[in-house]
Amino acid sequence: MSEQHPSLFDRALTRRRMLQGTALAGVAAFLAACGTAAQSVAPSVAPSVAASEAPSSGPSQAASPSPAASATPKPSPAAELNFANWPLYIDQDSSNPPKSPTLEGFTKKYGTKVNYRETINANEDFFGTIRPALEAGQDTGWDLVVLTDWMAAKIIGLGWVETIDTANTPAFAANESDNLRNQPWDPDNNKRAPWQSGMTGLGFDSKVVGSQTSMAALWTADPRWKGKVWLLNEMRDTIGLTLLKLGKDPATATNADCDAAIAEIKKALDGGVVRSFLGNDYKEGLIKGDLVLGTAWSGDIIQAQLEKASLKFVIPSDGGMIWTDNMLIPKGAAHKYTAELMIDYVYDPTIAAQIAAYVQYVSPVKGSKEAIAKNADKTVAALGQNPLMFPDAATLAKTHIFKALSADEDKYFNDQFSTLQGN
Amino acid sequence: MTALLRRYHFIVPYLLLTPGLIWLAIFYIYPSIQMFISSFWSGSLEHGFTFSLANVHNYTDGLSRYQEQIVRSVFFAAAATIATFLISFPLAYTIAFRAGQYKNLLLFLVIAPFFTSFLLRVISWRTILGDDGLLLGPLKSAGLVSDDVRILATPVAVISGIAYNFLPFMTLPIYVSLEKIDKRLLEAGQDLYATPWSAFRKITLPLALPGIFAGTLLTFIPAMGDYVNAELLGQTPATKMIGNVVQSRFLVNNDYPTAAALSFILMAGILVAVAVYARLLGTEELMSSAG
Repeated sequence: MSEQHPSLFDRALTRRRMLQGTALAGVAAFLAACGTAAQSVAPSVAPSVAASEAPSSGPSQAASPSPAASATPKPSPAAELNFANWPLYIDQDSSNPPKSPTLEGFTKKYGTKVNYRETINANEDFFGTIRPALEAGQDTGWDLVVLTDWMAAKIIGLGWVETIDTANTPAFAANESDNLRNQPWDPDNNKRAPWQSGMTGLGFDSKVVGSQTSMAALWTADPRWKGKVWLLNEMRDTIGLTLLKLGKDPATATNADCDAAIAEIKKALDGGVVRSFLGNDYKEGLIKGDLVLGTAWSGDIIQAQLEKASLKFVIPSDGGMIWTDNMLIPKGAAHKYTAELMIDYVYDPTIAAQIAAYVQYVSPVKGSKEAIAKNADKTVAALGQNPLMFPDAATLAKTHIFKALSADEDKYFNDQFSTLQGN
Repeated sequence: MTALLRRYHFIVPYLLLTPGLIWLAIFYIYPSIQMFISSFWSGSLEHGFTFSLANVHNYTDGLSRYQEQIVRSVFFAAAATIATFLISFPLAYTIAFRAGQYKNLLLFLVIAPFFTSFLLRVISWRTILGDDGLLLGPLKSAGLVSDDVRILATPVAVISGIAYNFLPFMTLPIYVSLEKIDKRLLEAGQDLYATPWSAFRKITLPLALPGIFAGTLLTFIPAMGDYVNAELLGQTPATKMIGNVVQSRFLVNNDYPTAAALSFILMAGILVAVAVYARLLGTEELMSSAG
């Protein structure tokens, strides 16, 4: 997949040299020239992006009167930090629900008020909301956003993130899980910091469907689950698992493989086994009993088990998918230094354990397993043994990542998947 | 100031219209033009979009590719409009003529659900229509319907969701036109030996037509473009409406040209349908004679 990615933007890169000296200005100018932003905003794009790149270490809160010429002006934490994340993706104080001990702790330590908003529900939708500002070289209003690998790769490829100054993030540099380092789309490990990882596999109510281990169940018209099966509406999860069922590797998927997977899913739809394509709300149906079997995210099922103990998550024998959501600092963020402080803060194993104990996905922080096992609360400490939160090598070996699709492939895959869903 | 206004009194209507016109220009006309332009784009987000009149095929392509969803939207919206009418007319009739002192209370109850968020109301329908929910649960345990019957994720769920959500938009206009009816006309009809039924058919119904016309428009037009009910109660390929296609083309596939073209097809289709409908009902004459 590493060969695939550069092709995504190579057109932009070749154009760059002809257009401008600065790489970023070139990409921006290229995009502007293409008429994506065919509005009046276009001409101003290139210079402003280039300009915002100039002070590489200078967060904008360093707009203090201190002379900019001095060698390393020590930045100070900003008064506020604007942080966009997915719903239920950070720890909450059980006695005081919307408050998060992690965020409170950050405020206590740095005096920064964190405007934490659970505003991201889908990668594409959220990107749609920040793209106009990024395109115009303006501040998106967010200092930290959390997006899935493929979307992070896309935004990094477009040059729309700030580089993390790793001198400000020693804990991140030391504690990031080894298997997440050096992604082909972030070779220097300084464009994104993983927030949580998760696995996609089979989720089911074992009281209704018994024990299931194979994707083939979703194609079987068993009266116990016929018409009560859902598939995730995230293309990479559903196509990925179907490819694995077909014995193909999602890391090398071609358009033809996509067609094969679509045809396969169609069979399950036409047979009346599959009822719906769903996002996060499959959890509600699963708890109510309208749904009993489908493709699910590991952390969701662990959370839902609190309400319905008979729910189970397994990595299918065909193989499962693994993905990571990443913290990114959008280009032009007003509080870059403070965002770096936040990244570093959540890479402290104790803090990471605190978040993991609540969200129950796979923590990207080394030492979080040991930290969670030391928790005074026995049920929390037991999470340290949960293979879905701290997968062992055998579990990880069964998981696959989805290929970094080129722009054209991405369009093709999404188009086919949309049509399959009737839109 | 008043002297000035008196002198230039002809300007007053324009001044009064200005806020509305500005609002319309910013939030309707400008985006419409933008969207019309983008409906002639080709290309992709990554490679950029280019404008060309030759891309008029976006319209024909959209029409043929999403024919099924367009037809389904018309069907769902029509079915929901008929359902709301069948529920609303007797309701409005009762409130207007028979409610007595409870008139205001009943009117309030019609609007009461609007005090809750639209989204919450749709989501609560998921609980009501669930496979073992309030409706099907008792029927199933009584053995009246078989266990594998479901309403969620079927057209019935989407149509009932739409009908429920637009009910007040039908009920209130019909109520208003019924309320205005001069009771003496009905008495006169009876004096001339009209049966209650023919008095209703010849007097009440025609005089209620402007309300019925307004109510059906207020229901049918937004129902055509609705995507929330199909998204939350349908959730299956067989219940997707054209609104879902536009949403997914815009936000998931970044296919702005097709999304924009489909929006215009929808808009034009509705305009034509409304024009034909107005002609058929002949409400223009009715409204002018009533006024």
